[in-house]
Amino acid sequence: MGEIFVLAEHRQGELRDVTFEMLGKGQELAVAMDAPLAAVLLGHNVDDFATELARHANQVVVVEDERLEHFNSAVYQQVLAQLITEREPGLVLIGQSAQGMDLAPSLATQLGLPLVTDCVGLEFEDGQLLAVREMYGGKVSARVAFKQANTYLVTARQAAFPFEEGEPLGGEVITVGSPLTEEIAYRRFIEYVEAAVGDVDITQADVVVAVGRGIKEVDNLPLVEKLAKAMGGVLAGSRPVVDAGWLPPDRQVGQSGKTVKPKLYLAVGVSGASQHVVGMKASSTIVAINKDPDAPIFKVAHYGIVDDLFKVVPALTAQLGGS
Amino acid sequence: MLRTRKFVEQYDLLGCIQCGRCTGGCPLSLSSPLNIRRIIYEFLVRDKLDIKQMPEIWDCTTCSTCTLRCPKGLDPAMILVGMRRVLTEGGRIKPTVRDALESTFKFGNPWGRGKNKRSDWAQGLNVKNLAEGGFPPKACPEQGRRVGGDRGGAQAEILYFVGCTPSYDDRVQAVARAMVKVFEKAEVDFGILGNEEICCGSEMRRLGEEGLFEFLVEDSLEIFKQHGVKRMVTTSPHCYNTFKNEYEGLDFEVQHYTQFLADLIERGKLVFSEEVNKVVTYHDPCYLGKQNQIYDEPRAILQSIPGLKFVEFDRSRERSLCCEGGGGRMWVEASSGGERLAETRVKDALALGAEVIATACPFCMLTLEDAVKTTGAEGSIEVLDIVELVAQAIST
Amino acid sequence: MDIVVCVKHVPDTTEAEIAIRDDGRGIKKEGLVFDINEADNYAIEEALLLKEEFDGAITVLTVGPPEADETLRMCLAKGADQAVRLTDERFEGSDGYATARILAEAIKDMDYDLVLTGVQADDDGSAQVGVTLAEVLGIPHAALVVSTETEEDEDRMTVHRELEGGLHEVLEIELPALLTIQTGINEPRYASIFGIRKAMKKQIEVLNLDDLELAEEAVGEAGSRTSLVKLFIPVVTAQATILEGSPEEVSGELVTIFKNEGVI
Repeated sequence: MGEIFVLAEHRQGELRDVTFEMLGKGQELAVAMDAPLAAVLLGHNVDDFATELARHANQVVVVEDERLEHFNSAVYQQVLAQLITEREPGLVLIGQSAQGMDLAPSLATQLGLPLVTDCVGLEFEDGQLLAVREMYGGKVSARVAFKQANTYLVTARQAAFPFEEGEPLGGEVITVGSPLTEEIAYRRFIEYVEAAVGDVDITQADVVVAVGRGIKEVDNLPLVEKLAKAMGGVLAGSRPVVDAGWLPPDRQVGQSGKTVKPKLYLAVGVSGASQHVVGMKASSTIVAINKDPDAPIFKVAHYGIVDDLFKVVPALTAQLGGS
Repeated sequence: MLRTRKFVEQYDLLGCIQCGRCTGGCPLSLSSPLNIRRIIYEFLVRDKLDIKQMPEIWDCTTCSTCTLRCPKGLDPAMILVGMRRVLTEGGRIKPTVRDALESTFKFGNPWGRGKNKRSDWAQGLNVKNLAEGGFPPKACPEQGRRVGGDRGGAQAEILYFVGCTPSYDDRVQAVARAMVKVFEKAEVDFGILGNEEICCGSEMRRLGEEGLFEFLVEDSLEIFKQHGVKRMVTTSPHCYNTFKNEYEGLDFEVQHYTQFLADLIERGKLVFSEEVNKVVTYHDPCYLGKQNQIYDEPRAILQSIPGLKFVEFDRSRERSLCCEGGGGRMWVEASSGGERLAETRVKDALALGAEVIATACPFCMLTLEDAVKTTGAEGSIEVLDIVELVAQAIST
Repeated sequence: MDIVVCVKHVPDTTEAEIAIRDDGRGIKKEGLVFDINEADNYAIEEALLLKEEFDGAITVLTVGPPEADETLRMCLAKGADQAVRLTDERFEGSDGYATARILAEAIKDMDYDLVLTGVQADDDGSAQVGVTLAEVLGIPHAALVVSTETEEDEDRMTVHRELEGGLHEVLEIELPALLTIQTGINEPRYASIFGIRKAMKKQIEVLNLDDLELAEEAVGEAGSRTSLVKLFIPVVTAQATILEGSPEEVSGELVTIFKNEGVI
């Protein structure tokens, strides 16, 4: 089988975690498929990244171009289409991220390749690649197979594959020419903007108390706010709570919000959908209060209370000496 | 822009003499810009009204004090509902209202909860399910209603219509459970519809979703027919009012549970063995009192409970101060701030020396309990449904 | 501005119990309540807002069974002008790619300035159809859109894409283009029952495979590039230590845990 490509994802001067998660999985598959692992890095002045990536891959393929300074899926697609056509990798891993979701399906379609998205599992069994992904809000999992092709495309869910620092692979860094010629006029990157800037940075807090749809209405927020205060923590929320306008966007924890790693994460009335979990699963201690014993949050929590938050939260606040 | 002429004709507004008794009795007149007399005036003198610019029409709780007081027999509360109909049918409603309506259509309750969880409150209670083994009708968009379905098993004299709020709200579920305890003690032959029970639609109509109301009426009538319902007792005065007065084609007796229990007590079928030594006042729910003149039965029940000391609010019976829970207000924030009426009520109760505010409506219960918390009176006074007090007075 | 919106009729699974069919290739639909896919609801609202600003016609399409008419009627009630349902037994088993091909066949000869879809479907969560559709149609795209601004001459839009960490990517895109719309971009309006009944007067055009210039091999399992092997209920590996007892008791335990973790 041809080599394994992992598309390195970076933004604003940092390589994103999903890159290393995919490289970790890539190394495992490289052994199973007996194929070399190459990190693919598109960018402008990204030598530092290349050096870092070389520790985790057999080769780092760099495409250097000013036009690749900021992610633009149209530009990335042009470059990757060329690269994949030339080198015919057996498998291409891209993150199921804001970048990957914008890029992978159109790239796959342009090249006529099978694509399975948002994978949480990927195995090479009896010469066949099998992907595992979730459906119906995480309640059901699916095993998916690919139609025969020379190259398979997979997007990996963020924070689904563990990454452990191993022995550096000492890959060689090679720079290939950029195939970009004209400017792409039909889609132009303008700038990045912060969605909202508030007074509290939830990523810096030791204690985060997050509310989900379980609090039912905005009038019930003060109840949880009191608890957060009694614990010396900050109030955060899942996406539905922010969408409803009950909390400002800078309090959102999850894939499209902030990623937090506090000492204690207390999830109150949060179901634990994967997009939320991705933003908090690295917390040292996770405690969940939810009425639904089947709520996915209990899969990631260390401690769980299956009870009515409207009873537990006041009781806990009282025990902590809050009023 | 609403053309006023049709409205004037439809609601007979030319009969209005602008006496102001409506606004004069409106419980919201001090805290909201809502002025129904003025609104009627606008309808009479203008060709068009921009009702989108009148958010106060959503403050109305449909307590119907105005209707009761109007010397010309007009129904000002329904005029406001009529205005809401125009907005709701045009889709221009607040997200909270939208969510409640969509939830009712999809799940048969405005609380966003699953149909399959409606009878969870009764787990472990062994209540007869009149719909057990059957399956509910399915939505048929072409006909705009649900069709099919199959009747289930058990039979009973009385259908206990629980209601959406007692079914799903954690606090009010205790009321439903107390009801079961009391019915069992009095050896009442009753059953519930379980997960097949759907919203009575009262609030939906008052939020202006007449189409959804009609939909629910058709569905419920079908469900009642399928399961051979001959008599009904409700937890909520809202359900009672709408089934009794607004469901055309409903041909069996409907009572609010206070009527039913008062009768049981009078006939000696419900006997008290425990004392409830509390000072209790009673808050008349608008939909029980003002709108259906049921004032005596709740009092008769309370006054027959041994040890209970009953004290009357100054504003009682038809003057009862609306708790602001009806007319869709559970899903609408007041358009202006200030003291909520329920908070005033709690303060009045405390001044009376009451330890308990008794009521007989799930919305009153929730708004009054909220007010107990927001006025900092937790620990000094509690809110209980009449049936909960009754349950305390019978041995288990 | 003429807009095409692709929507999906999906089951609401939040509180529902999901059971897998005996053949393991789907879930049991009995007792499930269906509705428009959440992100698609935001997409149709975005189209309606654009129509209010720029006039034009909205065509809403879905690939689905006859029951999907419920969702199409709701879109018509809200203000869409035309609705098309693509239904055929031979579409069964279509993956994201094949589904996009079916939609593209129906859309390609329409006059449109903008195609909107939701970011992903609540049932499969693949987030593939929208972006794939753009590529098949040969138009530019942007995924995860949380705000749009249209230029005076309506030939370009400035859109915000939602990135991780509360960041937005601002880009300019030429029309006609396809945008996948993220939840929270607007506040969807309500479609009343009367509104939906009135919309019954508008015809829903139903097309099957024979009405499209598409070979049988291009749709269904044959036209898909991936195939579902089997559905299963995931085994819960990591499990929380569940604290039992009254709210007071568990609170006491929690405070001890908090102290041990050095949090308080």
